Amino acid sequence: MSLSMALCSPPISSPLLNSTLTPKILLTLLSTKRLSLFSLTRASSSDNGTSATVSATTVEIPKPVSPAKEEVPFEKEGKTDWDSVIVSEAKRRKWLEDSPETTTNDEPVLFDTSIIPWWAWMKRYHLPEAELLNGRAAMIGFFMSYFVDSLTGVGLVDQMGNFFCKTLLFVAVAGVLFIRKNEDLDKLQGLFEETTLYDKQWQAAWKEPESSSSKK
Amino acid sequence: MATFALKSFTGLRQSSPDQINFVSHVPSSLSRSQRRTSLKVTASRASPKLANRSLRVAVIGGGPAGGAAAETLAQGGIETILIERKMDNCKPCGGAIPLCMVGEFNLPLDIIDRRVTKMKMISPSNIAVDIGRTLKEHEYIGMVRREVLDQYLRERAEKSGATVINGLFLKMDLPEEWDSPYVLHYTEYDGKTGATGQKKTMEVDAVIGADGANSRVAKSIGAGDYDYAIAFQERIRIPDDKMTYYEDLAEMYVGDDVSPDFYGWVFPKCDHVAVGTGTVTHKGDIKKFQLATRNRAKDKILGGKIIRVEAHPIPEHPRPRRLSKRVALVGDAAGYVTKCSGEGIYFAAKSGRMCAEAIVEGSQNGKKMIDESDLRKYLEKWDKTYLPTYRVLDLLQKVFYRSNPAREAFVEMCGDEYVQKMTFDSYLYKRVAPGSPLEDLKLAVNTIGSVFRANALRREIEKLNV
Repeated sequence: MSLSMALCSPPISSPLLNSTLTPKILLTLLSTKRLSLFSLTRASSSDNGTSATVSATTVEIPKPVSPAKEEVPFEKEGKTDWDSVIVSEAKRRKWLEDSPETTTNDEPVLFDTSIIPWWAWMKRYHLPEAELLNGRAAMIGFFMSYFVDSLTGVGLVDQMGNFFCKTLLFVAVAGVLFIRKNEDLDKLQGLFEETTLYDKQWQAAWKEPESSSSKK
Repeated sequence: MATFALKSFTGLRQSSPDQINFVSHVPSSLSRSQRRTSLKVTASRASPKLANRSLRVAVIGGGPAGGAAAETLAQGGIETILIERKMDNCKPCGGAIPLCMVGEFNLPLDIIDRRVTKMKMISPSNIAVDIGRTLKEHEYIGMVRREVLDQYLRERAEKSGATVINGLFLKMDLPEEWDSPYVLHYTEYDGKTGATGQKKTMEVDAVIGADGANSRVAKSIGAGDYDYAIAFQERIRIPDDKMTYYEDLAEMYVGDDVSPDFYGWVFPKCDHVAVGTGTVTHKGDIKKFQLATRNRAKDKILGGKIIRVEAHPIPEHPRPRRLSKRVALVGDAAGYVTKCSGEGIYFAAKSGRMCAEAIVEGSQNGKKMIDESDLRKYLEKWDKTYLPTYRVLDLLQKVFYRSNPAREAFVEMCGDEYVQKMTFDSYLYKRVAPGSPLEDLKLAVNTIGSVFRANALRREIEKLNV
């Protein structure tokens, strides 16, 4: 169905289109040249059952497929398979990071990540992490409240009314959110210094150094 | 074009027109200047009137800063001497000037070689975004040749009454008492004494240091050091058919391969393109970055011939002390180059003018001696007017030049119309214009979204690496 660029040339310039053409992405992907890279990635992700319909070797031969049964890239059961769009774009970026290519005007890359709907991103990235963090917070919370209860006899509901406990709760939540690895502590410190550095450099002109009182 | 120079730091001013302005509410710096007045101890003595003569001010350096300063001083009735070491110096420079500079400095339109009205931003994964749709008919970014611009400003200064001397400033003797003159030691080249020139001295009342990133005036007053970026540029003459693509278009390449903390560029000049890149943290790898930049633009500059290779330091932030008694620094010497875009020509000229205005005012058109408090007024005015701009650009650099995902998000954001409009407004007219709050909010949300998506893709890439 679709003619692909020959496998020998690194198939980098993506025919994925601008966000303004979002609704038409499926149709246009049908008709434009589709690079074999994507067909390969589709094939390789067939383990997840996402690309049952794409063969691994859509290379240069227009396959005689009847129009009724057109193979649409990135489609699963009639809906766009956003996961594989994300994976393909990641592969493309990885390829380019490892071996940067020249840009050409003939096949400009116009892919905008905002064509992928927000819920696809949420499902793939935010939710697993949120699950992890919430799990951590819940475990910490449960054991802290048990611990405080055993020490002071104050039950969970009464703990929530106490200012100190509320503060502890806030600290626990912030800690779980911001400090996930040991390196994060240093990173946060560095970030804070960074935010104030430029201002300090500009203010230096206004600070009189003690040694050079003769400047006055 | 004169000598092939990889002489150490002949001067590359990197000016690129891209800025993005997100912030509409920027804290005023007034409280700071109030604090400043409490620090300053100098009692402003009633400065004595100068008997029989006008104030003598020397401007060291004849670039945009020096030329603008000298002109304003001379027009204000002050005896001005401009010392420039190389009258035909073509400083390696991006050469981009904003629209407001043409108006503010009354530049004739024939100084501008090209009017850039389109820009292309290219992300690390070669996603290309076109910028410039929002520009109106009369708006453009002017590309100039530095030798032409500098010469024009110097000539105007001379016409206003300044004395232009071709000489190399060597050092300066600081005055013993508060009203002793500064003694400048310089070598004058006047053609007659040949290449070595003649050592001379001169006594002046005040000095404006406009001698660029490696300022000797700054060294003389102990102004302190700054971090600087190395900008490296190759001028490439490309075939005519390829040149038409760059007729009014400049390109900006971002990516770890091109620069870890800056960007690579392709700027059109009068009849060739300048391809370059820069970096602060990995100066030793600059050649590697340059090769990567050329590789990214390969298709578009194929068949070109390198006609010149040049490099120059670009200050990243101001020097700790920008003035001392009656010596003030302006332009690159002071470190007035913005982050993120590396723009310096306009700020150099404007700071030269502002400093000269402060001197003219403080000396009442040359009749009185000035002192440090008059020069501090220039610093105050400068910081008040432009610190928000510098802060915004610094913020953008910190957020968007960190890593490849951040750069991808940056390029994606540039595709947004509102962003383009704000960017060009703030670049062309040099004001941090507050946009509509609703749009700003949408922009903030979109930014966070872009950054999140780019980082998510980065995580995906890391998963693939495993």
